[in-house]
Amino acid sequence: MISKISRWIDERVAWRQVWEAIFLRKVPKVNWFYTLGSASLFVAINQAITGILLTIYYVPTPDHAYDSVQYITTQVPLGWLIRGLHHWGASAMVILVVLHMLRVILYGAYKYPREVTWFTGVFLLLVVIGFGFTGYLLPWDQKAYWATTVGTRIAGTPPIIGDYLLRIIRGGGEISAVTLVRFFGTHVWVLPASLLLLIGIHLYLVIRNGISAVPKKGE
Amino acid sequence: MGESKELSRHNFMQLAIWGVGGLIGAGFGIPAIVYVVGPSLQSQQTQSWMRLGPTSKVELGTPTLFTVTIETQTGWITNEQEISVYILTNDARTYIAMSNICTHLGCHIRWIAEQNHFFCPCHNGVFDASGNVISGPPPRPLNRYDVKVENDQLFVLVGG
Repeated sequence: MISKISRWIDERVAWRQVWEAIFLRKVPKVNWFYTLGSASLFVAINQAITGILLTIYYVPTPDHAYDSVQYITTQVPLGWLIRGLHHWGASAMVILVVLHMLRVILYGAYKYPREVTWFTGVFLLLVVIGFGFTGYLLPWDQKAYWATTVGTRIAGTPPIIGDYLLRIIRGGGEISAVTLVRFFGTHVWVLPASLLLLIGIHLYLVIRNGISAVPKKGE
Repeated sequence: MGESKELSRHNFMQLAIWGVGGLIGAGFGIPAIVYVVGPSLQSQQTQSWMRLGPTSKVELGTPTLFTVTIETQTGWITNEQEISVYILTNDARTYIAMSNICTHLGCHIRWIAEQNHFFCPCHNGVFDASGNVISGPPPRPLNRYDVKVENDQLFVLVGG
């Protein structure tokens, strides 16, 4: 019965072909360092799920941001778990993505024909850092406020454009409600959209070009 | 799995991957449901006796309006909410306390002294002095609060 249904669907959408291309493709004999990309993807999915759940209670205004986060952590059943997964997942994400990048560098996997995969990876790293930077402000506590004060000041250091840059990032002269919402909007709309697009290209290229083998001595 | 007594390496891996995947899926899915549904099912704050005012303010046979401000907690926000209570007594010994919320769809009813009844402006619900439905759509009498008198002061049990 189930196989009948799946055959009926497969005849029309050819999902088996897609499935095989993704999961049953041939790979060279590799080692555990080659799982770092999949690990990053797994944590990214964790961040998406827990992030969506957090927005169910979180309110991005100076009046409510801190209290709503406290409410999630102390009042909502398993809220501590969801927030904890998102919080620690964020750190894990940065670590995994950097390790993934190191593996690609050290194994020379960025070379022909995989340069474009590498370029998208570089942008993905920037997006992940952007997630970390914007997400850090959202709990709206002292640590968040001062970290963002410092972070935006750093953006303000280049000559000539620095001051404009700082004002654009903050949405004005100082850190305010405007800053909080634009960080929130960036964190939940702009960056996820970019991440999705870039991951799509990145994974397509990984599958299209196949993964690189472990380089041999003298290569 | 029907044909093999011995599990092939391939089948074992396949089973393990789906099993672990299923566990991870449940690990996200179940907490997600608890997290989303939980606060909706948490019970309200506890009940407490609120002081309305002196019994001397109540006219015999006429529902008299008292208001009391209570604190309510919704999510992380504490609100002050004004509750209106009509107190009726016919002998200055036993008192009944009625809510001013119409039992039809929740509008505020009001005592019309000239016509000697409660009137709800939304759908013309009419109640008598002790809260029984006289006419209109309300399905049942006005809700009552528990009421007590201590040292000539009226108290009602609110919340919950």
